[in-house]
Amino acid sequence: MKTEKIIIDSTLHSKFSLKEIISYKSLLNNLAKRDFLVRYKQAYIGIAWALFKPLISILIFGYISSKINPGTSTATNFVYVAAAMLLWQLFSNIFNDVSNSILGNANLFSKVYFPKIIIPISTILVCLVDFFISLSILVVLFIVSGQSLHWQLVLAPIFVALTILNGFGIGLYFATINVKYRDVKFIVPVIIQFGMYLSPVIFSTNYYLDRLPSYLHWFFCLNPMVGAIDGFKYCLFGGDMIYNLPYFIVSIAVSFLFLIIGLKYFYKFERSFVDYI
Amino acid sequence: MSKNTIIKVESLSKKYLLNKQLAPKSDTLYGSIIDQLKNFRSLNSKKQQEEFWALSNLSLEIKEGDRVGIIGRNGAGKSTLLKILSRITPPTSGKIILGGRVASLLEVGTGFHGDLSGRENIYLNGSILGMTKQEITKKFDEIVAFAEIEKFLDTPVKRYSSGMYVRLAFAVAAHLEPDILIVDEVLAVGDAEFQKKCLGKMKDVSGQGRTVLFVSHNMQAISTLCDQGILLNKGTLHTAGPIDTCLHNYFGLLKEYSFNETTAKSDRQSRANGKAAFSKAIALLPDNSENKFWSFRYDETLRFSFECKVHEVCDGLTFYMAIKGTTSETIITNIKTNIVSKELKEGDTISFKLSIPACHVRSGQYDLYFAIGNKSGTSWYDVIDGNINLPALIVTAINEDIHDNIGYITIPYTIDEKTY
Repeated sequence: MKTEKIIIDSTLHSKFSLKEIISYKSLLNNLAKRDFLVRYKQAYIGIAWALFKPLISILIFGYISSKINPGTSTATNFVYVAAAMLLWQLFSNIFNDVSNSILGNANLFSKVYFPKIIIPISTILVCLVDFFISLSILVVLFIVSGQSLHWQLVLAPIFVALTILNGFGIGLYFATINVKYRDVKFIVPVIIQFGMYLSPVIFSTNYYLDRLPSYLHWFFCLNPMVGAIDGFKYCLFGGDMIYNLPYFIVSIAVSFLFLIIGLKYFYKFERSFVDYI
Repeated sequence: MSKNTIIKVESLSKKYLLNKQLAPKSDTLYGSIIDQLKNFRSLNSKKQQEEFWALSNLSLEIKEGDRVGIIGRNGAGKSTLLKILSRITPPTSGKIILGGRVASLLEVGTGFHGDLSGRENIYLNGSILGMTKQEITKKFDEIVAFAEIEKFLDTPVKRYSSGMYVRLAFAVAAHLEPDILIVDEVLAVGDAEFQKKCLGKMKDVSGQGRTVLFVSHNMQAISTLCDQGILLNKGTLHTAGPIDTCLHNYFGLLKEYSFNETTAKSDRQSRANGKAAFSKAIALLPDNSENKFWSFRYDETLRFSFECKVHEVCDGLTFYMAIKGTTSETIITNIKTNIVSKELKEGDTISFKLSIPACHVRSGQYDLYFAIGNKSGTSWYDVIDGNINLPALIVTAINEDIHDNIGYITIPYTIDEKTY
């Protein structure tokens, strides 16, 4: 039963290790379970909020969208908004929860050692549960609006995963800053609020690009959620949802760039979080 | 056959930057921007941070299966060492080689969530402490039995009594099976009976060949549980070796600090401007020699000896003593009495002895608080308590009857007019 030696050295830096995360999967599971159980505790309609929150946004912005795009049918407008809105809410929930997760669980890692990346990962799991519940809205709208199925549908999970990575990468970056500067909790909601209007949630990317001066097109596509939302819509509805392949690729590249920056920054300070709390 | 080394610490140091991490002004982005700008201008950013070495150049080795008590005054670096060993905070320099799985118990009930049931919390807390789901499931019944909470398994723990909460929390931790168990002061909770149970459990753990590191201010617990000791003093190693040697040296250190007027003055501001000050405060054994452990049996008279020096003319002297719970800070009882009611001159020395009759303070550990003040007891000249390392008062049980060991104080009573 000889276990391997653990070396604690001042010069070592912690690294992302899938093996270590897997060895802590029971903790991951229990933290996610805790957050999930506590999230809707003492709420009268409980988990139904996972349905209502996105539904309300979809109704409001779907209505706005159908007023502005009278060319397409109301149902189509709604289903387009629903697809984008669900993905956006998944992103914003992950972004917000991950950025608060480290500070919110300081009482744990200031008393016990475990890889701290477990905390934001468990947060993602909880957000995903909400996402899958709210997905039922999309299914209903999809059928009601009479959309036809495309072969691309099988690719949709890729863009859900991309959304998760976006929220995770940016969230990790802010979670790290949050340890030292509590200002983050004010900044994140602002980013989420304005970010929605800078992403193709209510209107399509084409709608934005048509109205923006051409030198700002690249700028618009630096938003990593542009690629994720457009890709997701393409998978669901097919057609000309991907406006411009280079822009699409830029947006996805930015996603991975943010993820790498987030992880790097997180691991740079991970070991000394306790000293800053 | 010599035992294997399981923990090897090589020139370990830990530095804290006091200003940078504690000053409230750099706690916000704005504050730190301003700080940065100022630093940028004056180009002497280093000078604004005060360095504090919680540990400096500490080297030691711990053998497999040892039960090691880590002792030292407040601020000696005990907790910092445990935090580094349990990988909660990184060292500034140096290296540690651990030969096995470490579980640290720096707090009971880490991660307990009030809204979750006892059952859910067992799984959550167990997994936080590093147990796998299978391990917890295997030990589940044992944990529940140890905590004595069978009936309340599915009740949210926020509805538990504090005793149940602590029992459950310790029960989970006690069933960990690490190679190295690190325990910090957690036994200061719960009633005496449960503390005994916990100590017994920890002895079992080390009986199975595991290494236990134990930090406590309860010298009695340390001396019963541990065979080896590490005495830290101001972040450096003072003594490493058999626990008796360490305890002996520790009490030597205590004497040096607690009752030396000049050191104590710098330790505690309220001492500095008194007209009179304690120059001696010791507990006595029945033969009038010093009771270095501040430990009495329940059936022994609690005796203390004090000496005070007068630094400025005062109208008299009042003595005050409080007995407090070690965790709750609640005053269990107190004494205020006039010692001298005539005027005292500079340079006078007053000494007196205090006796508390046997069988009045129940078994347990208590914080003491002594003060001297003016004749009427309205203003105070000097205070000594745990902050300047006054040891805790320990009263040990003399029999197994739980009814004699719970509570804090025995009250006088009579039963008469008995009829059959």
